[in-house]
Amino acid sequence: MLNKLIKYLSSLRFTILLICLLAMIFAVGLWIPQQRLLKTIYLQWQKNAPGLVAFLDALGLTTIYTSPITITLWLLFFLNLSLVLWQRWPIIKSRITLSDAKIADPVTVGGYPFRSSYPLPGDLDSEKIIGLLRKNRYTILGDASGFYGVKNRMAPVAFMLFHLSFFLILLGGVVSVYTEFVGYLDLAQGESFQGELSRYNASPQPKMPEIGSPPSASFTVKSIVPRVVHNTPTGISVLLVDSQGQKHDVDINRPYSTEHTSFVFKHLGVSPLFVLKDASGKETGGAYIKLDVLQRKPDRFVLGPFSYTATFYPDYVLEGGKRATRSMEFNNPVFFIAVEQAGKKIAEGLVPKNGALEFAGYRLEMRDMPFWVRFYVVKQRGLSILYAGFAIATIGVIWRLLFYRREIVGAVREQDGARCLVVAGRSEYYKSLAEDEFTKLFKDISGNG
Amino acid sequence: MAFWEMVFYLVAMVAYALAGGGFIYSFVFKNPRVVSKLTLLVAFGFLAQTIAIVARFNATGHLPWSGHYEYTLMGGWFIIAGTLFVGWQNKQLQGLAVGTVPLVLIMLGYGYMQNPALTPMAASLKTVWLYIHVYFAWLSFGAYSLAMAAGVLFLLKQKSEAQEVPNPTYDRFPSLGRLDELIFRYVVFGFITDTIMISAGAIWAKDLWGSYWAWDPVETWSLISWLTYGITIHLRVTFGWREKKLAWLAIAALSTVIICFFGVNLVVNTSLHVFQVR
Repeated sequence: MLNKLIKYLSSLRFTILLICLLAMIFAVGLWIPQQRLLKTIYLQWQKNAPGLVAFLDALGLTTIYTSPITITLWLLFFLNLSLVLWQRWPIIKSRITLSDAKIADPVTVGGYPFRSSYPLPGDLDSEKIIGLLRKNRYTILGDASGFYGVKNRMAPVAFMLFHLSFFLILLGGVVSVYTEFVGYLDLAQGESFQGELSRYNASPQPKMPEIGSPPSASFTVKSIVPRVVHNTPTGISVLLVDSQGQKHDVDINRPYSTEHTSFVFKHLGVSPLFVLKDASGKETGGAYIKLDVLQRKPDRFVLGPFSYTATFYPDYVLEGGKRATRSMEFNNPVFFIAVEQAGKKIAEGLVPKNGALEFAGYRLEMRDMPFWVRFYVVKQRGLSILYAGFAIATIGVIWRLLFYRREIVGAVREQDGARCLVVAGRSEYYKSLAEDEFTKLFKDISGNG
Repeated sequence: MAFWEMVFYLVAMVAYALAGGGFIYSFVFKNPRVVSKLTLLVAFGFLAQTIAIVARFNATGHLPWSGHYEYTLMGGWFIIAGTLFVGWQNKQLQGLAVGTVPLVLIMLGYGYMQNPALTPMAASLKTVWLYIHVYFAWLSFGAYSLAMAAGVLFLLKQKSEAQEVPNPTYDRFPSLGRLDELIFRYVVFGFITDTIMISAGAIWAKDLWGSYWAWDPVETWSLISWLTYGITIHLRVTFGWREKKLAWLAIAALSTVIICFFGVNLVVNTSLHVFQVR
């Protein structure tokens, strides 16, 4: 019974079943909003269909990639893979071992579908044939009276290599998941960060690592310069200076990486310096305010006794009497601000850079308009193991599938009074295509090409 | 779309449409003589498509790397390039165009309906990983398409040979045994380039999004596609699935790649792979 179970667990049939089940689970995960990946959509859906969502929650289908059933399938997959590798290793060892027992009669040997015979010119030395085969990257045992040759002898080792790389990817993945810290950090130009946990955005809440500590990096944001061509963001340059005074230029595709931590640029906003003056011209308030207005949506802020709704136009223009922006380039940045007091709108108007809006005896000035950025901060270990897994998988698959084995057995014999090269050959994966290859090889070697 | 790009894009579509129709005619009406002429027509369409790509490059300053339209333009170019290359290497394989030309024609038609506006290179695409990732993605798509075309050819030829009077058009094409091995060879090439594409994508994603794997819909579907072709290789090598079974598998498996490239964004708008560049 146990043997039967082990036999099934180590079978390729079981591997294929597991892969099909995993693929189905991945596909299901595409259609059912996942709690962690699509939080907003998930919460909206939960509000609209609480019964259905609760049912799917209970089945683990809204956290499908980490659900018990998926983890069980992964465990079974790696158990299956381990058993397959364990069973295959002796076979691979015997296949790559060179032994004189592999020298066989090319006429009677079994398992070699290609068989042929080529007359040899009188001046062709038998041993030269062996030399020519070696030149064609065949490892040869024996001599012209009977030989065995193999090309890409070690190819089966690549099978092990490719499948072992899965374990490296698994190990790297597990290490990265358990050591992972994830948080969002909003920093404006001129702001410093000393690694304080309290500085991370409260929503979404930072994910603390199961093992290890959160990031300890410290730096100051010296400048933020976005680059936009018409409506396409073509780059951003965020200059950071760390505690050692070293400069780091962050761009899209170029995070600031230090001590297993990456500060990845995620989002851009403007943080204008608004100053509020009363009727006497005295400053009653002022601050750099981080506004999330670049997605053409208004944002709100409070300054002094008023609250404000700000809409931003990076390249302001009045089109047909309506406020608009020519492009997303920051050529003529203007805020349209609605001022409220006690929930009632009391004024509204345009505020360009270095301009002002006057209302109810007050004056709101915009003196400066730097930017702020949101960093996606992720700290995780194990990436080098993971990347090593990718590299080995790539090498393994190329090695195994392109440099496949060809085996030949042959002998130089007298046939019908003529000296002939009698050969038999076989190849992994291919029969017809290998026949072409063997025909060309032996014709060239025997001078019949 | 740049003016000359549009002109040559349409010329390419017309050439492929005529060639596709011609291939179907030669198969249905058993006229094998036109196949080599049709291959010339495909080559003409390919030349026009190449000029369209050059015209777009001239207008934008970058190769068409992103967006559904650019994917169809460049992806289709790779498929036709592969078809012409194998047909040039081995004249018997010119018939693969019967599968690939209609596929590319549909792709180009679909691409034309998408967003062909000329846009500057988005910041997220300015990295060497783009070239590695997208180049290998196209290579794998091209190889899987050739596997599908070889599968179609295999099934047609097998059906013809079962008839009392076989269609002479199929005599020009490789034997069933060779077609069977070619299907496997294209699948193998596609699987290798697919593996490189996924590995490169994961490394790029770490720098761009901060996470090497985020279960993004396109990522997930590319994994499903990779697993499908992995199973195909195992079924062939270990279980000996050959000929008809393998041909059908190569045809069916291409659907996972098409869904990955074009289908996911149609039904899910949450992918980080913004093929619809705005």
